[in-house]
Amino acid sequence: METSEILESGKIILEKWIESSSTPEENRLDIWVTIENFKPVVQSIVENHWGYLITITGLDVPPLFDEEKKEIQSGQLEALYHFANEAAIITIRVKVPYSKPQIESICDLIPSATIYEREVIELFGFDLLNTPNTDKLVLPDSWPEGVYPMRKTFTNLQVLENTTKEQPDE
Amino acid sequence: MSEPKREKFIVPIGPQHPALKEPGNFEFTVDGEIVTDAAVRLGFVHRGIEKACEVRNYTQDMYLLERICGICSHVHATAFVLGVEKLAGIQAPPRAEAIRVLAAELERIHSHFLWLGVAAHEAGFDTLFMYAWRDREVVMDILETLSGSRVHYSVNVLGGVKIDVDEKLSDLIKKDMDFLEERTEYYMKVVTTDDTFIGRTRGIGTLSKERAEVLGAVGPTVRASGVKRDVRVNSPYSGYKEFPVKMITDETGDLEARFIVRLKELYESYRIIKEILEKIQPGELVTRIKRKIPEGEVISRVEAPRGELFYYIKSNGTEIPERVKVRTPSLCNWGTIMDVAVGHKLADMPMLLVGIDPCFSCNDRMVEVRSNSQKPQIMNWDGLRNYGIEYYR
Repeated sequence: METSEILESGKIILEKWIESSSTPEENRLDIWVTIENFKPVVQSIVENHWGYLITITGLDVPPLFDEEKKEIQSGQLEALYHFANEAAIITIRVKVPYSKPQIESICDLIPSATIYEREVIELFGFDLLNTPNTDKLVLPDSWPEGVYPMRKTFTNLQVLENTTKEQPDE
Repeated sequence: MSEPKREKFIVPIGPQHPALKEPGNFEFTVDGEIVTDAAVRLGFVHRGIEKACEVRNYTQDMYLLERICGICSHVHATAFVLGVEKLAGIQAPPRAEAIRVLAAELERIHSHFLWLGVAAHEAGFDTLFMYAWRDREVVMDILETLSGSRVHYSVNVLGGVKIDVDEKLSDLIKKDMDFLEERTEYYMKVVTTDDTFIGRTRGIGTLSKERAEVLGAVGPTVRASGVKRDVRVNSPYSGYKEFPVKMITDETGDLEARFIVRLKELYESYRIIKEILEKIQPGELVTRIKRKIPEGEVISRVEAPRGELFYYIKSNGTEIPERVKVRTPSLCNWGTIMDVAVGHKLADMPMLLVGIDPCFSCNDRMVEVRSNSQKPQIMNWDGLRNYGIEYYR
């Protein structure tokens, strides 16, 4: 099957949940879905055997401020679930606010996703509901709670030192 | 009558191991000799490279990313460079693309030989280990002559390559490829006919096609289970469009199949290298590229020796990328070990771990056999390896 046909077949499977979509490259399809629809989307990809999960990419979208330092857009996290089928890649994208970064875990559908979920939990601060394992994957066990190194606000280890120093007082 | 309460024995392996590449920690829960559960803990060499990419420009990032791996350094740079070139809307000249493939295949040869040696060593077959690593020197010498370096060849630049092959070097490489082909013939005979070796590989760690697909495994690990998954074939990139490779698969899915697949891939590498040297056209090596990369997102996938390597690059229109995400092949293959380990003997673990060719460092890792009635029994990796060898003696 041609790449475009594979992509098209994927689009048909997901048709009813698509909020918006784009085709950044000819072998790619990016699909934005709402947080409620996210789990059914993944489920239908798995049930239709459309490719495999490559990985989960986390993106930090920092808050935007106007000239008077008033927040015009609150900070968000975006999770990109990349699925590949031969040359075709479908990326399922979900956006969640800093205040409630909750996404349903997909480990019951794709067991191997646990390693990627653990990665975005500790590096970005996503809250994956019902994920089987939240142990530290890449950061040290002594890493302070609530410090997420891949967020844009984390710029140097100074931040980390301050947080660690504060701990005895708590 | 109630069953006596059974305690879980957990055998931690790792993380310290200075001799090879990467430290990792595994915990195998055992019931007697049989493994009933397995878990992995990574991150002992987490260097924050993805974060570091966000404060360096594209050229600096290319050199930084090349240093992710000390074995497959070239594919990392290639994946990144191909992505950035796609964003910038330029195409490296054909000669440059051919040289990229040439370096990638030479790298695959050295990586597979390295793996063959390590795997033979874990099986207690040190003669094969010595032979394989001796022959690996042949390809290491080629890489050094080609680029001036044995490990980080830095073949790529944004928009092309910076090394070239001349007639003399080309003849040398062709001669060496013939020699290595002959050696591979011999190794193929050993791993498929030697009784003691087959005892450690045949029927061990079998991964079914369905499981392999569900677990999202990649590279020779998944191809040994009969899944047709090879980026070079599925989605040809760079010079692979002009010089296509044949996909090597096997149906059995056990450790022996993984040996066979990797060795057969070596033949394919020799063939493609010779073909490139025959057919390569003279021409430019570099296309000009602007320092500022247009805004956009790109996904770049290449086939590293261990499987699919994935890069996601987001540009914000400046000289510095907004986000670089790397997913290395070893990461998806850990999942298969956790799955396959269950039901196998503890003595099979060294071979199973080596079977996926992980980037892990593993000679003197601590192994603690915990038991309620006995005092903790501590083994290092060597101890576990010897235990495995003794078990099969």
